[in-house]
Amino acid sequence: MGSLRDVLSPFTAWKHVIETPVTIKNPIGREAADRYRGFHQNDTDKCIGCGSCEDICQNAAIDMIPVDNPKDGDSGLRPQIDYGRCCWCALCVDVCMTGSLTMSNEYTWVDSDPDAFRFIPGVDKMPWDDFEKGYERQGDRMLSGLTRPEMAELEPEARIGNFDEIVAGYSREQAVLEADRCVECGLCVATCPAHMDIPDYIAAIREGDYDLGTQILYETNPFSEVCGRVCTHKCETVCAAQYEGEPIAIRWLKRHIIDNVSEERRLEIVGTPQVLPTGQKVAVVGAGPAGLTAAYDLARSGHAVTVFEAQDKPGGMMRYGIPEYRLPYDALDRDIAVIKAQGVEIKTGTRIGTDITLDQLKADYDATVLSIGLHLGRSTRVPGSDAPGVEAAIDLLRRITAGEEVPVPKKVAVIGGGNVAMDIARSMARLQKQKFGEVGVTVTALEDFDHFLADKEEVTESFEEGIEILDARGPQEIVTFKSGKRKGHVKGLRTWKVTSIFDEQGRFTPQYDEGDEMVHEVEMVVEAIGQMADISLLGDELTEALEWNRGRIAVDADGHTSEPWLWGGGDAVHGPDVIHAVADGHKIAASVNVALMAKAEAEK
Amino acid sequence: MRDLIEKLTPRYTLGNATYQRADLTFVDVTRDELRALLLELRDKEGFTHLVLLTAVDWIEEGKFQLTYMINNREADQTLGLRLYIDRNDAEGDTIHDIWPTAATYQRELREMFGIAFPGSPRVDEEFILEGWTDMPPYRRDFDTLAYSQQTYVEREGRETHDPRATMKHKMYPEG
Ligand SMILES: Cc1cc2nc3c(=O)[nH]c(=O)nc-3n(C[C@H](O)[C@H](O)[C@H](O)COP(=O)(O)OP(=O)(O)OC[C@H]3O[C@@H](n4cnc5c(N)ncnc54)[C@H](O)[C@@H]3O)c2cc1C
Ligand code: SF4
Ligand code: SF4
Ligand code: SF4
Repeated sequence: MGSLRDVLSPFTAWKHVIETPVTIKNPIGREAADRYRGFHQNDTDKCIGCGSCEDICQNAAIDMIPVDNPKDGDSGLRPQIDYGRCCWCALCVDVCMTGSLTMSNEYTWVDSDPDAFRFIPGVDKMPWDDFEKGYERQGDRMLSGLTRPEMAELEPEARIGNFDEIVAGYSREQAVLEADRCVECGLCVATCPAHMDIPDYIAAIREGDYDLGTQILYETNPFSEVCGRVCTHKCETVCAAQYEGEPIAIRWLKRHIIDNVSEERRLEIVGTPQVLPTGQKVAVVGAGPAGLTAAYDLARSGHAVTVFEAQDKPGGMMRYGIPEYRLPYDALDRDIAVIKAQGVEIKTGTRIGTDITLDQLKADYDATVLSIGLHLGRSTRVPGSDAPGVEAAIDLLRRITAGEEVPVPKKVAVIGGGNVAMDIARSMARLQKQKFGEVGVTVTALEDFDHFLADKEEVTESFEEGIEILDARGPQEIVTFKSGKRKGHVKGLRTWKVTSIFDEQGRFTPQYDEGDEMVHEVEMVVEAIGQMADISLLGDELTEALEWNRGRIAVDADGHTSEPWLWGGGDAVHGPDVIHAVADGHKIAASVNVALMAKAEAEK
Repeated sequence: MRDLIEKLTPRYTLGNATYQRADLTFVDVTRDELRALLLELRDKEGFTHLVLLTAVDWIEEGKFQLTYMINNREADQTLGLRLYIDRNDAEGDTIHDIWPTAATYQRELREMFGIAFPGSPRVDEEFILEGWTDMPPYRRDFDTLAYSQQTYVEREGRETHDPRATMKHKMYPEG
């Protein structure tokens, strides 16, 4: 038995006997406790319509209802709750990815219409919408992790003297932890230009089924080795996990799948074309991601595809632009091997326009795809920009990849603030380190650091590698030696401080503070301010005949140009990155397919 | 509480002491020592009150955790004794003779988790679930969602939409 005190303590309640009773006759109007779980509230501006609340509800009380048009990162759906089923457990509040869903402490409400007890909190206005009291999750989202596993990377000292790949890739343990954070809402799928089935391949990682993962990747993208490393990962900018933590590392998870499936196994999973040859022939000009994706799809549809490539090796900017330390060549080769296995013939070292004319392709093939990218570097055209010692970034990058000798002086200036500028700066830094044991690269960018164009990681890693980046500096002149042995050769770069880049109408008209002048003493100036397409292969007649859109070949939504035999895509038409080129490749292939089928039908 | 745990340690197998708050402590105990320990704590250490008896389903480990929360009002201290039992042979030892209220908790655990307490008064009678035929609902392998979908009718006119399919349909209808 308990102590005497325990036995007697109930009698202490007797002292309340003359007080007002705690129970009341009519509970309506009596306020509940401060943290009571009553009718829901939803901040519908904050809610992204991810449906996690619906998924977790163990009473199937929630439906997702369209209240607005979907846009990037927001399905336009909002949760509707059926209070005939809700048990007020608040799991939905605890899982909510944005913290938009809360509960008021209102629990009494009388209505004779049962359907009134099914409504969309925040959309269907209710008296308790603005109640402060009620239940909200304490602290950050707790039901799923908030941070990514840290990616192993080469330390600056270990990477600056070579072109070894920096990022190591996730281990199985890391990948599973990260995959577990994904709520499979699918909000990211629309934002991915190729609409990759992201939640599905993440689920495959969780299951440990890498074969299935590979199969899912190949349904939308034959460049997973490439995209798993260098994709611009726009999908991550809309990920539901970003609101109270880090977005899912979608790109690294993609790479993790492909890291775990050998090239031989991939060939088994992807297989070869399963249709009878159509007997129709397609020519593709340019072996970048746009052309090779179109070639992959078209070959799998049974057409005989020949890709003509000016360079010695296929891959386009993936090989000749993106440096090896971000994308090793053997990774790219593994992607291309699967494409070749579909029977795609790649004729390298063949430039259309000089080796073979475009007219010849028009005559010999049933359809022609133009995916020539942007391979001419733009110049600043400041005085001195034609002097020896001035280089174009993409030209240098190409020569480095091709193994050609490139001049490596002790001091180099790079003009430009985008990712290409970072790529050439970091490549030159590596060559300098190898040659002189030290780095001497200065990047001058028009934009200030608050509006920088290059990715944050690129800037951070450049600094780590000893590269100097000067923001808000505009080139005025490339200074040359006026006399002596090196007369005419680059001596330095003169810059002014930038005060603004665009005028009120948003036109590009940089303004400078002329009093803030610097002369950077360098022996080489690299211009990395943009690229344009080399359209000389078109010839005058075709150039005239084609429709144009602001200097680029105009195409319809399917990538068809105004010429019935010609399609175009990738950087030369749209840009700006690999995954957009892949998406273009798919669209073009689908359109060419339809046209060729019609052609075959007509010839019957 | 550290003193008490230290004092008991030579005679009992105590593990994993967690000093959660100044007035709240948890410790693992063994089944064969539970009875002796509860009696000693009640009669010699002032833990006269059984606050509650509840369970946690550690399905991955194949165990149920029984938690005996006892309170010393004088010292304003609560102690939680954690006892792990085999999930496949879920049986605990009744303590209704130490605290009569335990019988009610044991009846609840029998119903909600399917843990047997042989000898506990009325332990096999229905508690709050009437006519329950399914697996005990607090077991983690009980599928609450499937149960509620099978058991309760949907109100008419309900329709839901998948976020991904909605976006696909509206944002890139071309496919
Ligand atoms: C330095 C640099 C870094 C980049 N980094 C990234 C990145 O990290 N992530 C990302 O997603 N994107 C990146 N990009 C962009 C990406 O590489 C391109 O968007 C993509 O490669 C475009 O694909 P494409 O198929 O349109 O053209 P390209 O890849 O440029 O391929 C076009 C091909 O056509 C060939 N060609 C051109 N004219 C002819 C002709 N007349 N006859 C035969 N062949 C011809 C070219 O030699 C080339 O191989 C980067 C680009 C550069 C320049
Ligand atoms: S409170 Fe619980 S039962 Fe009610 S809608 Fe939310 S998750 Fe479902
Ligand atoms: S979980 Fe939150 S953000 Fe997602 S749909 Fe539900 S209320 Fe909106
Ligand atoms: S990656 Fe992010 S946005 Fe995509 S399904 Fe997973 S949680 Fe949703």
